[in-house]
Formats: sequence, structure tokens, C-alpha cells
Amino acid sequence: MEEIALALACCLALAFVSKRWSLPAIPFYILAGVVLGQSGLALVPADEFTAYLSYLGLIFLLFYVGLEIRPRSLLRQGKPLLISGFIDLNVNFLFAFLGALALGFSLPDSLVIGAALYVSSSAIAVASLVENRKLLLPESETIVWLMVIEDIILILILSLFTAGGENPLAMLATIAVVILVLIAAVRAGKPYLRSLLSRDDELPVLFTFTAVVSTLYISRLLKIPEALVAILLGSSLASTGAPRLERLSQPFRDVFLVLFFVFFGITVDFSGTTSLVPIIAMTVVAIGSKVLTGLLVGRILHGSYAAGMEVGSTIIARGEFSIAFAAIYGSGAVSALLAAVVILTSLTGSFTARFSDRLKRFFPP
Amino acid sequence: MGVRCVELPGIGTKYELETEKGDRVAIIFLPSRHFQLYVQQKGAAAPSAAEISPSEARRLGSLLSGAIIEAEKEAVEIAFSALADLRIRVHTYLIRANLAGKSIADLQVRTRTGATIVAVSRKGQNTVSPAPAFTFEDGDIAVVIGETEQLQEFERKVLES
Repeated sequence: MEEIALALACCLALAFVSKRWSLPAIPFYILAGVVLGQSGLALVPADEFTAYLSYLGLIFLLFYVGLEIRPRSLLRQGKPLLISGFIDLNVNFLFAFLGALALGFSLPDSLVIGAALYVSSSAIAVASLVENRKLLLPESETIVWLMVIEDIILILILSLFTAGGENPLAMLATIAVVILVLIAAVRAGKPYLRSLLSRDDELPVLFTFTAVVSTLYISRLLKIPEALVAILLGSSLASTGAPRLERLSQPFRDVFLVLFFVFFGITVDFSGTTSLVPIIAMTVVAIGSKVLTGLLVGRILHGSYAAGMEVGSTIIARGEFSIAFAAIYGSGAVSALLAAVVILTSLTGSFTARFSDRLKRFFPP
Repeated sequence: MGVRCVELPGIGTKYELETEKGDRVAIIFLPSRHFQLYVQQKGAAAPSAAEISPSEARRLGSLLSGAIIEAEKEAVEIAFSALADLRIRVHTYLIRANLAGKSIADLQVRTRTGATIVAVSRKGQNTVSPAPAFTFEDGDIAVVIGETEQLQEFERKVLES
């Protein structure tokens, strides 16, 4: 138990540092894990219990992401969102996938790397827009909606990866049934859920925690990934009062997610095949592809490459979702590569977002 | 010009206004319950922004809507943000010997001035909504409500009669 306390204390100290310098906290948590874990000082071992705790972090993150998905307001965004989402998926997935293949990763590994590096960090992008006072810019709307559409595509990718097993059709059918059952259950129980969630005793918190934790059981029963069930649960429950559920689940998400990052860092094994060359190469590809995405989106939706630079510089940072892919699907070498790329791109991204004005000067109107 | 309302998932709601003179003002409600206030002058390359706490936002809001703009010693002026141009003053007056023994009906306060006496305080005892037959004594304090002009009439026609 004292290992968890040690890991959390380190993260608390690092969180202070990151807030003080307005840097994203995610790379620090992973680095803390790397230093404390098997690739570093080997002070904190990972066991089944810590694996369970950190998995809760992932599940709460995805539940929270699900809460933010509201199909109706998404549809209202229309064509611009489709364009930016389409460019973002294709450019980034292809670059990372081909890059990984070129570096000698196997086809399944390259698919995981492609998917993991396609998704930007919503947390870092949103925080940097607020922190750097960019919310008046029309580009900021494009960016936050792009982060939402990435979450939707994340569901599709998770479904496809799951269906890639021995029985794809049966798997997709199971997922479809889960979606329908969840929607029907929430619709039927909406008045009861609403009154349950508006109570002022401990029941709403207990309900939220139980619902999220039970996704682990349901998914094991149906043999579909926990991540998918959590995100679907979130988006189906969103109609009963998303802001309230967000407030209820946020403390769990915050604490368990820190454990998730730090124990991911602890279990990452850098001693194996990884050398600096693939890490640097993939980082350059990852940064380049997001900048290209930004430039294209800016040119098409906002009519200038300067606007595109604003978009690109904000979405460079990879974070929670890339680590999620690495944790669920990544082999040892893939996890180590993704950990390193996340650390490097998130730090780079926080600086490019802060100094986007200077980067935009390369693209005079 | 109308206010444009934009939902920013994960951040909050943005309300954007382009003024008649072409300046842009935006307010964003953050999840932390703080606000970001953006102002961009017409033709300026970049906006200025301020982050405002909830209590600062309330103060700023009441300044802009003119809720309580005047709090002199014995009068307050109230404006309602939902009702444009409605400004009401509440004023307290000391009743002197010249009005002692006269009732509100005798003085014809409402018909002559338009103002209304809503309460009278006599030696620490309060009478709220006094009846027309209510008779004043020297040293009463009357709480009178009305528009500025009506209160001026009250001072001139009633108090100084």
C-alpha cells in the first residue's frame, strides 16, 4: 500500500509544478511512473491491485467522455465538423500507421500506433484554449468540436478493434445490442434516475460509482472491451443530466486517472527493443501530421493558413487517449514508444499552443 | 445587434456580441464557475481577456445594468434589469411639527404628488402600508416611494406646506 501513497505523493508534487508553470500534467505523471517503476529506480512494483485501480481511472475517463457526447448538438454542427473530422482522421491515422510500418512494426502494432496517435488530447487542448485566452477566436470552436468528433471516432475504432477477433459479426451484434439496451433502459428509467440523481444524500455518488465500476463486470460477461461499455454508458446516461453526473464522477476520474498514468509509466519497459531513433521519428511524424491537419482545416474552414496554424498548434498534444490505446492494446515495445511520444508531443504542444502567434507569422494573411 | 450563443463542449457556453460600433465582446462561462471576458476593439488584431470570479462578475453586472447606482444617506434608487427605464426611488423623510395631527388623507399625498407613503416609523414602532386615516406626529419618519419627480413634488407640496 505504501507504494501507492509514494506514487500519489510524487504526482501531487508534480501537479503543483505543472500548474505553477502552466504545463500539462499528464507527461509528468507518466515520467514519475517511469522513474519510480521498472525502467527507473524500481521503487514501486505494479501488482493486480494497482492494475485494477489504474484501470478504474481509464473507465472513469471514458465514462466522462461519453457524458460529453450529445448527439443532438453534434448534428447541429453539420458539414464543417464532418470536414475537419474527416481530414483529422485520415491524415493523422495514415501518417502514424505508415510511419510505424516503415519503422518495422508489425501490422497489428502499426494499427494500434496509428489509432493511438490519431487522437489528440482533449484535456490538454481544452485547457490550453482557456489558459491562453483563445476562446474568442472562431478557430477555438473548430478545435473543441474536433475533440468531440475524435471521441466519437474513438468509439468506432474501439468497436472495430474488438470485432477484429475471431468472430467479428457476432461481436458487432453484441455491441449493437448493448447500445440498444442501454438507450432503452435509460429512456424507460429516466424519471427514476433523475430523482435518484437529484437527492442530496450519498445515493447519487454511490449510484455513479457503482454504474461505472459494474461496466467492468458487464464487459467481461459479454467479452467486449470495458472502454467501449464505459463510453456507451456515459453517453446514454448523459440525457438524464450530464452536468450533475459530471460533477459526481469528476473526483473519481481525477484521482484514478492520475493512478492510471503513473502506473502506466511504472509498467512501461524501456529496456527492450526501443531506441531513440523510432521515438524521435514517430514524434516528428505525430507533430507534422497534426500541423498539416490544422493547416488544411484552417484553409478550408477559416480561409487562411494562419488560422490553420492556430488549430494545428493546439491539437499537437497527445495524451490520455493515446495512453489508453497503449494500455489496452499495446505490446511492450508499442507501449514504450507511445509513452515517449505522448510525453514529447504533449510538452511540445503546450509550447506551440502558447506561442501560436509567433508560428502564425510564417503564414501572412 | 443580437447575442450569438455558442456551445463549447468541455469548456462551457460562449456569448458573443458585436456592438453597433463594430467592437466585439464575448463572455465565456467556465466549468470552474469563473468567467472569461473578451473585448476586441474594431480592427484590432487580438482581443484582450480578463478572467473574472463569480463575485467580481456580479459586481460588474450590477454596474452595467445599473441595479443600485445611488445609495445616499436616506435614499436608494432601484432599477430592474428586465424592465427598461423603470427607476424607482425609496426615500425617508422626517415629519416635523407643521404636519403633526394631519392624516395621509388630509394631505392628499397620492393625488397631489403621485408618491406613496409605504411605511411610517414612530419611536421604533413601524407601521407598514399606513391607512389613509393614519395621523402624523412630530418626529415620525415616513418611507416614501416614487419616481424622482414625484418625490420632489412630495418635498415641495407636502413637507414644506
